[in-house]
Amino acid sequence: MSAREEILGKIYAQSEINHPGDFQGASEDFDFKAALEVVGARVLTAEALEIEFPGRRRYEKILDGLSLAEVEVLEIDGEFGVAENGAIWLTEEALPHRVAPFICQHLVINVSKIVPNMHAAYAELNKPNSSFGLFLAGPSKTADIEQSLVIGAHGARSLTVVIRA
Amino acid sequence: MLSHAEASEKFIADAERTDWHDETLWFVREKRDKVSKVLPEWEALREHASQIKDHTLANLGSYLQAFEEKAQANGIKVHWAADAAEHNAIVHQIIADQGSKILVKSKSMLTEECHLNDYLANKGIEVVDTDLGERIVQFRNEAPSHIVLPAIHLKKEDVGETFHQHLGTPKGNKDPQFLTEAARQHLRGHFLASEVAITGVNFAIAETGEFVVCTNEGNADMGAHLAKVHIACMGIEKIIPKREDLAVFLRLLARSATGQLITTYSSHFHKPREGQEMHIVLLDNGRTRQLADPKYKNSLKCIRCAACFNTCPVYRRSGGHSYHQPVAGPIGSILAPNIDKKANADLPFASTLCGSCSNVCPVKINIHEQLWFWRQDLMAAGLAPVSKTIGMKLMAFTLAHPAIYRIGGVFIRRFSGLLNTSLNPWYKQREMPEAPKESFQEWYKKR
Repeated sequence: MSAREEILGKIYAQSEINHPGDFQGASEDFDFKAALEVVGARVLTAEALEIEFPGRRRYEKILDGLSLAEVEVLEIDGEFGVAENGAIWLTEEALPHRVAPFICQHLVINVSKIVPNMHAAYAELNKPNSSFGLFLAGPSKTADIEQSLVIGAHGARSLTVVIRA
Repeated sequence: MLSHAEASEKFIADAERTDWHDETLWFVREKRDKVSKVLPEWEALREHASQIKDHTLANLGSYLQAFEEKAQANGIKVHWAADAAEHNAIVHQIIADQGSKILVKSKSMLTEECHLNDYLANKGIEVVDTDLGERIVQFRNEAPSHIVLPAIHLKKEDVGETFHQHLGTPKGNKDPQFLTEAARQHLRGHFLASEVAITGVNFAIAETGEFVVCTNEGNADMGAHLAKVHIACMGIEKIIPKREDLAVFLRLLARSATGQLITTYSSHFHKPREGQEMHIVLLDNGRTRQLADPKYKNSLKCIRCAACFNTCPVYRRSGGHSYHQPVAGPIGSILAPNIDKKANADLPFASTLCGSCSNVCPVKINIHEQLWFWRQDLMAAGLAPVSKTIGMKLMAFTLAHPAIYRIGGVFIRRFSGLLNTSLNPWYKQREMPEAPKESFQEWYKKR
């Protein structure tokens, strides 16, 4: 007998318990900019961005992620931001490569739409599924050495967000 | 192997370090309190998450099959493993087919449970753990002591010395920023060179056949997106029905774990990258046995946030290694006896049954009750420590025989000093109370 049949055979039918449905009554009063600050991201205006990162670049779609290994400042577009936690939804379709927001040294994301919370976020992204997508909240971080927060573990060392109307 | 009590005794021998460990974890617990209390719907979210998990476990067979079907349609290869040995053999075969001798792995307690690193090492394949904390303990030949903070038992001086030995950082440098940068450079080389990447799975969605991996460092993604082959290993209990359910779980997970609003990266793997091979290994390893037992079924709702570790007065003062299991703490103490009753018979006793674990659990597992259930089962199975068995029998006999109880009382009141010796395990860290001059009965008779 294969492991599949063995495992499924051991799962006995249980009494009926219904799915509770979608969550109701979630708070909506959140400030996206405040949340970005909490997760360690910086908010800049479009003008300030020009001064701060004149050398930033956008990249076309590529197949080889390794070719992005030397990228210093990458600019990409986020689909929307989530006000409750500062996360930004990114999809493979809008990225040069899946590894792009991780392998670059510094990341700039443009956001033009904000939803209040994670429930609204999933309602928003429940359109045809991307082959890969992620919520990204701030720069890469770790606190694995004595709980001291260090920014820039393996992914981008900084995240700058530009909120465009 | 040392029992929990024996290993704890060693841990607390360093009082200063024990206090630091205790306070640091309590600080994490307090961060959790702060971010959860600002959400008026926090308790409703916990209840909702608990109900989703109850529903999923009641329909686990059909959700697993739905997930398999969708994942396969998405181009992901799905494997089933009945136990750790089968899991390891499957993973090894995939790596052997690729012909790799070295690979990167992000945090996965399931691969710890299966002792995958040792298994692959014996086959001549090196696993590079890429989570910073896990890399530190891997260098030191230790196991993670906490499922979210793997190196929480170490001080920065320890890490500095470890990195000096393995990465050539200057001796005596203990600056977390500097040491993290050294690890970043070291592991980046491995990310860029690895053809195979192994990750864990936080959630797998039956409706879409995708799986979600959460990290703060970005190590799972750095590995998976650059490798030709991505192997994701998951327990069968990680399934949830729908994408919308993720909203509930992602709101709870990081807030409960570290007091963050959300992990830095919550990656949704739906289809392999163009030209990439993607595998999922579904592991049972005793989970179906747990599912079939109404007393312990709920433990499968766990989302591995470790909030119960951080709040536990025993864990905070005994350290993760004292639990001698990949998953320590209160939740580990109810999971481990299911896998090996005899080897883990000490763990359900490593608790005060105060119930703090159940109070912070984001999916409302009745952890302290299950610890108590396990104690009863282990006593009935004759697996409790001899000292406890004899003590309990003596106590039961005494309480059942009033004459002996009275004589015993007189004896203890007269010679109470006898209890204040090292022969009495309760005396070790406690002051015994003063014995009263007379018993209640004696006092009552005099009235």
